[in-house]
Amino acid sequence: MSRAPYSHQEMVDAVVIGTGAGGAPLTARLAKAGLSVVALEAGRSFAPNDHVADELAADIYWMEERLSGGADPTAFGSNNSGMGVGGSTLHWGAFCPRPDARDLQLKSLTGQGADWPIPHAELIAYVEEVEAFTGVSGPADYPWDARRRYAYPPVPRNASADAMARGCEAMGITATDAPAALVSRDRDQPYWGQRQACVNCGTCHQGCRNAAKTSMDTSYLPFAVAHGAEVRSQARVLSFDLDHEGQITGVVYHQGGEERRQRCRAVFLCAGGVESPRLLLNLGLANSSGQVGRNFMAHVATQVWGRFDDEMRMNRGYPSSLITEDMMRPAEAGCAGGYLIQSLGVLPVNLATQLARGAGMWGTRLQSLLRQYNHMAGIGINGECLPHPDNRLTLSDETDAFGHRKARIDFSYHDNERAIDRHSRQVMTAIWEAAGAKDIFAIDRSAHTIGTCRMGGNGDEAVVDADGRSFDIANLWICDNSIFPSALAANPALTIMALSLRTADRFLALSKARAA
Amino acid sequence: MTQPSLVFLHALGASHREWDGVRADLSDIDGIALDLPGFGERKGEGYADVAAMADDLAGEIRRRRLTACILVGHSMGGKIATIVAARAAAGEVGLAGVVGVVLVAASPPCPEPMDEDRREQMIGWVADGAIGRADAETFVDANTATPLPEPLREKAIADVRRSSREAWLGWLERGSLEDWRARVGRVSIPALIVAGAEDGDLGEAAQRAHNLPHYPHAEVRSVEGAAHLIPYEQPQALARLIRAHVAAVASSALPAAFVAILGSDRVSRRTRTAMLERTRPVADAPAGWTAAERAIAAQLVAHILPEVEDMDGLAARVERAVNQGQGDGWRFAELPADAEAWTRGLATLDAVSGGFVALDHDAQANWLERIAEGQGGATDDERHLSPAQMVLWFQDVRAEIVRQWVALPATMAAIGYDGFAVGGDGPRKQGYSRTAATDVETWQQVRETMA
Ligand SMILES: Cc1cc2nc3c(=O)[nH]c(=O)nc-3n(C[C@H](O)[C@H](O)[C@H](O)COP(=O)(O)OP(=O)(O)OC[C@H]3O[C@@H](n4cnc5c(N)ncnc54)[C@H](O)[C@@H]3O)c2cc1C
Ligand code: SF4
Repeated sequence: MSRAPYSHQEMVDAVVIGTGAGGAPLTARLAKAGLSVVALEAGRSFAPNDHVADELAADIYWMEERLSGGADPTAFGSNNSGMGVGGSTLHWGAFCPRPDARDLQLKSLTGQGADWPIPHAELIAYVEEVEAFTGVSGPADYPWDARRRYAYPPVPRNASADAMARGCEAMGITATDAPAALVSRDRDQPYWGQRQACVNCGTCHQGCRNAAKTSMDTSYLPFAVAHGAEVRSQARVLSFDLDHEGQITGVVYHQGGEERRQRCRAVFLCAGGVESPRLLLNLGLANSSGQVGRNFMAHVATQVWGRFDDEMRMNRGYPSSLITEDMMRPAEAGCAGGYLIQSLGVLPVNLATQLARGAGMWGTRLQSLLRQYNHMAGIGINGECLPHPDNRLTLSDETDAFGHRKARIDFSYHDNERAIDRHSRQVMTAIWEAAGAKDIFAIDRSAHTIGTCRMGGNGDEAVVDADGRSFDIANLWICDNSIFPSALAANPALTIMALSLRTADRFLALSKARAA
Repeated sequence: MTQPSLVFLHALGASHREWDGVRADLSDIDGIALDLPGFGERKGEGYADVAAMADDLAGEIRRRRLTACILVGHSMGGKIATIVAARAAAGEVGLAGVVGVVLVAASPPCPEPMDEDRREQMIGWVADGAIGRADAETFVDANTATPLPEPLREKAIADVRRSSREAWLGWLERGSLEDWRARVGRVSIPALIVAGAEDGDLGEAAQRAHNLPHYPHAEVRSVEGAAHLIPYEQPQALARLIRAHVAAVASSALPAAFVAILGSDRVSRRTRTAMLERTRPVADAPAGWTAAERAIAAQLVAHILPEVEDMDGLAARVERAVNQGQGDGWRFAELPADAEAWTRGLATLDAVSGGFVALDHDAQANWLERIAEGQGGATDDERHLSPAQMVLWFQDVRAEIVRQWVALPATMAAIGYDGFAVGGDGPRKQGYSRTAATDVETWQQVRETMA
């Protein structure tokens, strides 16, 4: 077998596009199985020490322009996707609840949304494997799942978490330390080195400088490279070479100012919920279903804020250190699924722009709230969104530096999302009142980019099958946030990583079956 | 506001005493005048090369924990000042307090332009050991426009003779010829570059050619009636210029406790550099807006953040971000690209309100309320934005203005934020050991200095 670095002429077994939550685990799995794998990543490669604890200087976000439309336009940039070896896991919040069994059968149970073509138990087995490989910190007993265990004890709660615990207790809501994809003790990560215990620095969104947080560049990717995979950074994929049967024979990409191509037998498109559908739409590929770009979902991410007499200094500590799953099926809320509540720790620039945008503030009130930053604290939700025909990703007429048309994402809340927003505002306001907050107000916000290449049972309604394989192009697989049939209330990254391992296993099983 | 202190560095063949006249006129401003190794009272230390002299100065700044200082370097001392300023701007630990530079007939980072015969002659003066009286007189007289009055002339001559032979030779044969251009690069710290109107090799033309390119925020001033020994020749004129520079940079000085944290090893070099960069003025012409547009933007700042004093400064940051920034990764689909949206938004605001800047504060506030509610805009003209677009644009306006303001280190100091002081460059990263409300760690001193 040949070894990395692979030549362009060589027919490698697989090219992976994007090295985030969807791309990295499968790269590791395929390499471990002995396949020749090249991962192409548009962004740069970083060492943990390169990250900057400054909101404006952090350089790990996808900053190419996207157009946001609809009645409730969702923000991109630092709010939504990463760019770099490791993808959005460089800057994600590492809040990692597991997917709820009911959410995977939403349609069967509620008549709305969609079911997942994957049994919950199977998905959870992969989730547990991801948790074991990356190291997750969490409570000794998880109130909503008696069997669950976490490898590391929880990190200390921040002041917002303490307040939320107080408020929840007063209201009879169960809350506990959040599952966090970080190590609260030093850990030797195989093939990478020492990941130092979380130091409660609060800058997860700017990149973790001591590798405590799970990030693909300090976990699955070094494992992949140790097993023979090659990761090429600043390699922007632009198109595919196809044979006369419509199968992909090579991936065309831009690197170092020139166009390059890598021959390959299979492609795994893992460019994220916006770039994956955008690339396919630009190329007019894999879209006989007409579903590419449709079913765009973002989580309802309403926040409630308030001012406390105590000095909270919410930038201190892991930001999302408390969770409640009590609102996963809120009675009489009028929504199909439900939502999770988490405590927040937000840095000043983020808070300021949210106040100016999501809370519509300016003037004396805005300035005086910002001056009292050290006294502010908030809680927020992650609420399940349903697909809607109006909510979709299309191509704008404007083009980017590579001549590809820019993505335009239209997003509007409908009854389900409005119901979640309304219900959660009431619940969170009550929690915050009980916690002793003053001057309470809410912020409109949505987050995550889900569903634009959905997975399903048939090629008229879905872009990929239950294995993640394109219905149209037999050697194209997609694995990232875009294949989710429904949004799930749980934050997405853990599920994406689990799906990534599963996709690799399905691919390997299929290759084996074909060979036999 | 913090008043920066002054750190004076002398020329070849001089000592801290050359600043006596200048300092007499600046007695209300804290200052220290140093002797560099091999000169003045440190004659016995012999030759220190340029890098060692820079280390010496950097060490002095750290030892004295200077949290707001301006480096004033004359001739040879100017090269040392520039090198240390470059290190400060690049985020070196302990130098976060360097807020300004004054170069006085300064030797540049490049090899100093010096007539070779003169260099040889000066080297010859120490052929037999110490510099003789006649040679010292020649040196002082050749470097002044008109002979210095006594006792100044005598003092200057004595200092020349106090130089160590090794230090004198070291500078002439090596230090002045060393090329530091690449290592100095562009220094974002505001600088005042002073030239003597009758100086030769290091006159105004040389200053513009060799020092100015390293300082994007610099002003060049020429002093009449002076050649190279400006501190001796025109102490009052020089003191006036220095005083003006102190006033100009004072507003960028941060509270001492904040600088102490910012300069500490809790902060990574990249974070410190990024934050210090933001304390510098925006370059003169940020490019993008007309004066009229700028005036409207400054008024918008006054409404979004009523307590901001330097509305124009903040508006200039917004102007730069909107017109030169790479953007924030998205925009409203209903709006044109950022730069155009702002131009059209400002024009629309001006048109619908019948001249926004001329309105009184309440009338302006009224218009902003209406715009936020979708009642201000123009659909007739493609240079304008519709009411629906104005709603979105005004959201962008608010977000960009607060973003620029909150990211300023001065704002962080004012709100008592120290979240940048985590994850330094050492092998173990700093964070917080206390995370509960009211439980503040001892190093988090910022709040104590703040109202
Ligand atoms: C601020 C923030 C906080 C978050 N917090 C959480 C959290 O707490 N918990 C949670 O579960 N989730 C969180 N998320 C979401 C989570 O990070 C993402 O859902 C997840 O990382 C998405 O994985 P992905 O594989 O779909 O895409 P990504 O991880 O974004 O990876 C896509 C990669 O593909 C690359 N790429 C794109 N186009 C190309 C191309 N043409 N050629 C080559 N490479 C390309 C990109 O550069 C990128 O590296 C957060 C997201 C944000 C923005
Ligand atoms: S809070 Fe912990 S996980 Fe987050 S960036 Fe800091 S050290 Fe890393």
